[in-house]
Amino acid sequence: MRIVIAEDLLLLREGLVRLLTGTGHEVVAAVASAPELEAAVAAHRPDLSIVDVRLPPGFRDEGLRAALAIRRREPRTPILILSQYVERVYAAELIADGNGAVGYLLKDRVTALDEFLDAIERVAAGGTAMDQEVVRQLFARNSGDRGVAALSAREREVLGLVAQGLSNSAICAALTLAPASVDKHIGNILTKLDLPPARDSHRRVRAVLAYLNQ
Amino acid sequence: MVRRAGRAVAHLVTSVVAGPFVFAWALATTLVSGLLSFTYLAPPVFLGATWVTRRVATVERLRAGLVLGRRVEAPYGPAPRTHLWRRGRALVREPATWRDLAWCVLALPSGLVGLAGLIATAVDLGLVLAPAWLWSVPNPYLPAAVDWMFNTVGGRFVLTVAGLALAPVAWWIVTTLARAQATVAAALLEPGPRQRLARRAAQLADTRRRVVDAQAAELRRIERDLHDGAQARIVAAGMTLALAQRQLGGQPAGAEVATARRQLDEALAELRRLVRGIHPPILTDRGLVAALAALAGDAPLPVAIEAGELGPLSPAVESAAYFVAAEALANVVKHAGASDCAVTIACDGDLLTVEVRDDGRGGADPSGSGVDGLRRRVEALDGTLSVTSPVGGPTVVHAELPCGS
Repeated sequence: MRIVIAEDLLLLREGLVRLLTGTGHEVVAAVASAPELEAAVAAHRPDLSIVDVRLPPGFRDEGLRAALAIRRREPRTPILILSQYVERVYAAELIADGNGAVGYLLKDRVTALDEFLDAIERVAAGGTAMDQEVVRQLFARNSGDRGVAALSAREREVLGLVAQGLSNSAICAALTLAPASVDKHIGNILTKLDLPPARDSHRRVRAVLAYLNQ
Repeated sequence: MVRRAGRAVAHLVTSVVAGPFVFAWALATTLVSGLLSFTYLAPPVFLGATWVTRRVATVERLRAGLVLGRRVEAPYGPAPRTHLWRRGRALVREPATWRDLAWCVLALPSGLVGLAGLIATAVDLGLVLAPAWLWSVPNPYLPAAVDWMFNTVGGRFVLTVAGLALAPVAWWIVTTLARAQATVAAALLEPGPRQRLARRAAQLADTRRRVVDAQAAELRRIERDLHDGAQARIVAAGMTLALAQRQLGGQPAGAEVATARRQLDEALAELRRLVRGIHPPILTDRGLVAALAALAGDAPLPVAIEAGELGPLSPAVESAAYFVAAEALANVVKHAGASDCAVTIACDGDLLTVEVRDDGRGGADPSGSGVDGLRRRVEALDGTLSVTSPVGGPTVVHAELPCGS
């Protein structure tokens, strides 16, 4: 996979490059600021951009803003946002266009290598990768929601993984459940949340996230 | 002692000489300013006259300081750099202007009283120096008892002795009068006790605000330093461990490396909690209103945000306002059993108000530890925090913070 990295801290930029090249990916550009990121994405048209939220010149949320700007111009450009902290609001802004191919993860998740590699594959393929911390915040704000309250403990667990963007098979593996029972749980969840059944797992993830963010 | 006497005499002499002039100046400026007060000439004339009066008063403060042996402070406030009329009005309102003028008027009688000291000095000096001059003055009709003192050489030396004996009395009169003059001048020309307290209070408020601002800036710096330093290093170490774990594969050491990696994750989670508690990153990123909107959006009940135009806020005020709303909202979620909540934030002139109102069951303890911490924080900024929570609701947390530009 051809990847562009935008991270202002040299230590982390180098670490990411090492990690990605060490796992068979190609880093076509590693930049340190938001304007450089926009230029690099335009020049290289990468399969994925991995972007830090806080970038120069302002060291606020320039990375996120640049990502949103890039996706306004090229709606399906796959972008994975990494951050030292996660805010539900930022996640909501990222998924608001409904196009998928976005991810928002804590930087720590990079160190759980297999899951991280899985997440970047998913985003590059048009899917979604939401941090479990974002999902926790989503659940907290929906604790009073009727649909969510109607879910069983197991269904909630499955919903959490769906919201993170995991595929059925990944959910099976994570919860050591049979594919059929995962299907059943997902069917129940969609019914209880009053969401239309969707075969396409990417679209399902987006519907679930949109529901939890409304 | 001789020096003190010299200073005292000099003070008395200058007082007598300057008194009439200063008095006349006060009279003239008062008359002219009064007559011109209905014309456009009033401000420049009044400003000019006051400028001169202040210079005169400055000299008087130096003179009084020499006699009193201490510095006599000037009471003037800072002059506003605005329109002439406003500067004139500010001067009229300043008590020091009128106290200066009062001293100008008193300078004349005060100088005249000082004349007594000068006469005492002259008489005593005359006695001491009697042998040198008394022979030249004819004194034919003196009573016999004192005749010999004036008209014989020996007698004149007796006068010298008497003069020397009376010198301490003259010294006392001179220094006491000079001190009295200087004390009156200082009392009028120095800042009064009220003004001194007001000045001190303003100074303390200023330094406190600077301390609070510095603390807020410091917390921001710590947040940034953690972000770029410790947190980044821990993530980098985690990346290295992740690669190592991959290379070790199924070897027993792989499990140990995986544990180390998880422990680093826990350290990061802890740091994140810490950072959120001292300065939430979204406040840095997007400002107060967006941070409050994020808080509202994360709450499990509908929270309406009403925000007016806030303008620039100091970091201390911003973060205090944020934490007031955050703590109040957390309490609404935990205790109120509310179905609706509204956060209002507005800046009216130089007062920022934050209000969190819910429709819950009320009965909140207004002196709980969380509220108490917030109150201390708000009061450090000269603000106020009130909690009203009658049983049955509604609960209203209301904070007012000065946000003077």
